[in-house]
Amino acid sequence: MTAAALGRTGTELRRAAGQARGAWSTGAWVAAGAAALGLLVPFLGLPGLRMDALASTVYLAVAATGLGLTVGAAGLPSLGAGAFVAIGAFTSALLMARAGWPLEPAALCGALAALAASVISGGVVRLRPAFLAVSTWLLAWLVWLFLLAFPSVSGGSQGLIVPVRSLFGLSATPTVHYEAALVLLVLSLLGIAAARRGAFGLELSALRQHPALATSLGVPLARQRLGAFAFSAALAGLAGGLSVQLAGVADPAAYDPFLSFKLLVAVLLGGAAATLGPVVGVAALGLIGLVSDPLARLLQLPLQRFDAAVAAFLLVFVLALGGDGIIPWLTPWLSRFRRPRSQATVPYRSAAPGPKAALRVEGLTKAFGGVVALDGLSFEVTPGETVALVGPNGSGKTTALRLISGAMLPDAGRVCFGDRDLTEAPTRERVRLGIARTLQATSTFPELTALETVLVGRSARRCYGGGARTALATPRARAEEPAARAAALHALAMVGLDQQADVPVPELTSAQRRLTGLAAALATEPQILLVDEPAAGVGVEELEPLARVLAAIGRQGVGVLLVEHNLRLVRLAAERMIVLAAGQVVAEGSVAEVGESELVRQAYLGAQRL
Amino acid sequence: MTIALQVLISGLAAGGVYGLFAAGHSLIYRLTGIVNFAFGDLVGLGIFATLLVLAGTSPVTQAGAHEPRFLLALVVGLACCVGASVATYFGLVQPYLARGSTIGWVAGTVAVAFAIRAAIGAVFQRSSYIFPDPLPFHRVGHAGFVGIGGAQVQARAFFVIGLALALALGSAWLLERTRFGRALRAVADDDEGARIVGVPVDLFVGLAFGLVGALAMIAAIAAAPGEAVSANTGTLLGLKGLVAALAVRFGPPLYAFVAGLVLGVLEAAIANVHLGGWQLGPAYREVLPLLFVLLLISIWPSREALEERE
Repeated sequence: MTAAALGRTGTELRRAAGQARGAWSTGAWVAAGAAALGLLVPFLGLPGLRMDALASTVYLAVAATGLGLTVGAAGLPSLGAGAFVAIGAFTSALLMARAGWPLEPAALCGALAALAASVISGGVVRLRPAFLAVSTWLLAWLVWLFLLAFPSVSGGSQGLIVPVRSLFGLSATPTVHYEAALVLLVLSLLGIAAARRGAFGLELSALRQHPALATSLGVPLARQRLGAFAFSAALAGLAGGLSVQLAGVADPAAYDPFLSFKLLVAVLLGGAAATLGPVVGVAALGLIGLVSDPLARLLQLPLQRFDAAVAAFLLVFVLALGGDGIIPWLTPWLSRFRRPRSQATVPYRSAAPGPKAALRVEGLTKAFGGVVALDGLSFEVTPGETVALVGPNGSGKTTALRLISGAMLPDAGRVCFGDRDLTEAPTRERVRLGIARTLQATSTFPELTALETVLVGRSARRCYGGGARTALATPRARAEEPAARAAALHALAMVGLDQQADVPVPELTSAQRRLTGLAAALATEPQILLVDEPAAGVGVEELEPLARVLAAIGRQGVGVLLVEHNLRLVRLAAERMIVLAAGQVVAEGSVAEVGESELVRQAYLGAQRL
Repeated sequence: MTIALQVLISGLAAGGVYGLFAAGHSLIYRLTGIVNFAFGDLVGLGIFATLLVLAGTSPVTQAGAHEPRFLLALVVGLACCVGASVATYFGLVQPYLARGSTIGWVAGTVAVAFAIRAAIGAVFQRSSYIFPDPLPFHRVGHAGFVGIGGAQVQARAFFVIGLALALALGSAWLLERTRFGRALRAVADDDEGARIVGVPVDLFVGLAFGLVGALAMIAAIAAAPGEAVSANTGTLLGLKGLVAALAVRFGPPLYAFVAGLVLGVLEAAIANVHLGGWQLGPAYREVLPLLFVLLLISIWPSREALEERE
């Protein structure tokens, strides 16, 4: 048993090494060379180099790199990174000074404490950006005011004296700290780079660009964002827990909200879009400090306030120039560099659950304030049939789709899929079971290609696409990647866009963008597909191809619920028709019967005669 | 009972100032969808500009300011506060709003906050200053304290409460009854719509930035002689306003004002009230309300605070 497991592990390791060799490029050589050179810095005998300052700068870079994941990848404007550094630092300092712990477990506990704090306050990742910024800002103040108000914990204005410790068996000199910090920095950079390139990064990016669209494709907003937020916090806590021993004292004054701001400045200055950006930002701030500190002494200004002013004005300068940061300026081609290859390397295999089931809604009711949008709506869509839901504006069609897909909950009524009641289920669970939906109008991810957009739709079908697995590039996560790509290409081929796979979404035509949205929903491998106005703004000559795509989807046994104003498309694509007016079904039957009836005309044109 | 009355009155006085900051924060949020992190420091700038004209940078030991000089100082301070607020809006908020960049205005306004704090710190290098008192409260009662129901209360507290209420109700009237106020409410409802019907949106929002700064500054100056002021004074007042405004999810400004009053009383109560031999004490005064509001928004966010779904 054990031998077999060891054997499997060995095979996986050999395969991973092989893949790593295959991915080894000039850039990797340069990066490895830079890291090796960095490790040698203390032994070069550079004149005027202060090892302790350099080591604490590298620790700051570790915390900033973590923040880069939250700010850059997830797009969360966090103003509270310094709070997690402070929590890590004081947890670690207290354990060392009061309980006599060694450095390594104390710093680890610091990271855990920061992680716990981020999970407790983790609800804020669901908030709008403005609320998130305020909440994290308050967190930074809360931690600092706590340290000021409780000198028994923080050591007051003297700070907590941290005793001498060893680090990995060596006496913890600044040089040892520097080497440890550099190794930590390289590891976290590798992990974050892997996470941002993989499924986790793609989903974070999708959530940043269009939260509603990403959520409708089954991407779990709170979980993925919390993953990024908590990882950043743990890294900040670890950096704080280690660096506090280097400083020799945990002084509350060093952990005021300015630290949070400084970390944010470093991320934005270097470029939030690049994994390496925060490191470059911290280096730039350090270099500026080399110039501004003597200047402040010359002008007899208080040092920390001067630093603050310099950082603040630097940031205003960067923002005024467009706010992209140093790395994106240097390499405008960087973002194009890492597009996934669009060739399928493995054959497509469906991952959807087996037996087909019908969608049934019973008595769905929803009111907004005093306006009743849906009033006891009931109908059924069986596998393989295409049903059109038509009605005038405001008759409740889109509300019905939202209730079925889980974007909002009904006031009364039930949504059932087969024999399961999904009325209260979250969107991701519905997508997993096979209910997918396209959004109205031109909802897209403007920074992604067609293929990447469709890959977002694979979220609910991935088993190993979480943050930790992507960052560590576990064998299963790596094995899942080509399978997901094959499925995404298959979905693109179904809508006839396989040739446009690597085209950025903004360069597609409006009809192609709609088809990309449809393909993303198809990539979830739905059994019931809810399509919201696919023909809006589509030219007459593009209607028939669209109808053919919908028919092909139906032939695969997928039940399609089509909300559409364009009766021509309805006639081309649908077999059955449900007419809504004022939130109630007024007619139901085959397209041939109902489509010609007086009722439909009335529903569209109102009761008045022409 | 005695302590309760004392807590209530001093709490309401502090809360009145918090309330005006909270109402300012919430009005700005409703107008623009942004939070002005520099609000408190912009007011701090006004307070220290007033102090500079009034007494220079030398430490004031005590006392009164001559009225004409005080009026001049107040006008200069208000001009600084309003001017800097309007400049912040046009320089660092409006461009990023137009571009849809959240991180831009967040970082921009925080940068302004730290820059102002650095500038104040560079000119006023002592850790704290005493603000000269234009009104002779020290002559009322026993050195400025009056007894009510056995409690000793600062006479200034009543003045601050009254002024804060008057300013809050006055601005509510402004919002409800005047053309300017109606235009602002239209912008808050739908800024595109307001633009189409001819409201000069950017100008009015810029004015609102200045106006909320001025209102908060007047209240803060009325309360300032009560205790020492430092470069942190404005920052902390802005923070308290933010706590109160977040507690009501940046709802209507009047709600935010009330939340500010509650926050003031709560802080005073946490610091002073014994509950059966169990007292929290002053150390908890600032920490507990912050913790409470943070947990509240994290665990129980209302719908308007959540990320837009559709």
